[in-house]
Amino acid sequence: MKPFDVVAYAVPVFVLLVIAEMIWAARRAPEKYEPRDTLTSLALGLGSTVAGALTAGVVLAAAMWLYDHRVMTVPNVWWAWIACFVLDDFNYYWAHRTGHRVRWFWASHVNHHTSQHYNLSTALRQTWTGFFALSFIFRIWPAFIGFHPAMLITVGGANLVYQFWIHTEAVGRMPRWFEAVFNTPSHHRVHHATNPLYLDRNYAGALILWDRLFGTFQRERDDLPIRYGIIKQLGSFDLLHAVFHEWRGMLADVWHAPWRHKLSYLLRPPGWSHDGSREGSDAIRARWLERRGEVG
Amino acid sequence: MTVPTIDAMLAMPGVTMALQTLTSLAAILIVVWLTRRLRLGGDPRIQSEEQARQLAEEAICGFDPQAVAIDRAGIGALARDAMGRVLIIRQHGSHFAARLLTSHANVRLDERFLTLATDDRRFGTITLDLGDQAAVWAASLRRLGASTQ
Repeated sequence: MKPFDVVAYAVPVFVLLVIAEMIWAARRAPEKYEPRDTLTSLALGLGSTVAGALTAGVVLAAAMWLYDHRVMTVPNVWWAWIACFVLDDFNYYWAHRTGHRVRWFWASHVNHHTSQHYNLSTALRQTWTGFFALSFIFRIWPAFIGFHPAMLITVGGANLVYQFWIHTEAVGRMPRWFEAVFNTPSHHRVHHATNPLYLDRNYAGALILWDRLFGTFQRERDDLPIRYGIIKQLGSFDLLHAVFHEWRGMLADVWHAPWRHKLSYLLRPPGWSHDGSREGSDAIRARWLERRGEVG
Repeated sequence: MTVPTIDAMLAMPGVTMALQTLTSLAAILIVVWLTRRLRLGGDPRIQSEEQARQLAEEAICGFDPQAVAIDRAGIGALARDAMGRVLIIRQHGSHFAARLLTSHANVRLDERFLTLATDDRRFGTITLDLGDQAAVWAASLRRLGASTQ
């Protein structure tokens, strides 16, 4: 079995949709796009593709090794593809949740969130360091239970393609049944928001069901205008700074921390500090809710 | 000497990837050119003290400014809270970004202009036209970082 490279075929469509959204923005709200921000996003996307291509062989080899030691064989039939997609999406949810809640993985994932804009070019703002962070481990383990790596790569690509269109403010809300099951622009706007209520919510890839199931769902509220980006905005369009700033910050923290706290700077959530001088998303949200008199 | 066919060239390791990368690069340049052609982007200005307060609160949840100074053109602002923390807010593309000022080492006063920089080199330097307030703020900022010096 050979993988089908869904993403390669989707890229020209991505470009056309970005241009279509830009034309929409030019007519409705020119500030939705910023040329330097778009350049950074697209350059991050290109770099991510190159980094992915250079490391794909190792990831595939690891998946094949697991498949060679599989406990059973999942047949190449239609229902197996659906099962594989759902399982991969479940894995994506946990990889993504870990990417926000463990600083080591956040250092790799953060650059996807560094834009203060939310448009289709933001979807392409992808990591260069995912392989180094070992994030792929979350996605290849089903090879051990018998899913062929080609199947995993294909559905993983399909999941990535699905997530492209939800990075937009041009779409309001989808029909209720769709919003209940699938990840949508509305749900994912919440995920990219820096409003305290929205921090670390809606980790879903294609199915929002996982967030509803595991208690991380937050609906978009009409009374809260969304702000995008990260808690401490980059304040720079520097490409390499966007890629590596959190790695640098994390390693500096590890370097300066007392020995007994060094590992915590790698494994605890972003915003954690051994002296309590910083705040993570939970503390920020709790304080915001308290000030608003809302129940957490 | 045999001239390789296109198929043979594409079969060479890395050639397809290099071609895809160059095509993507060209597409990126076209898209970015279009963003400028379509005049996308914004030039946001801080229009009021209320807006500056809101930006401060957005930058640091719970930051409640006791004093605010806004650049005459609205490109940035300074805000100080009850704890004595000073926040620099400045235009960043179509939005604003902010940093806490932790030292007066990079503060320069030139008549009505106050030039400020933070420990974050990439955040850059900003010069605010604060009018008569510039000297007042410059004097107050001298206390910043005093306990660590």
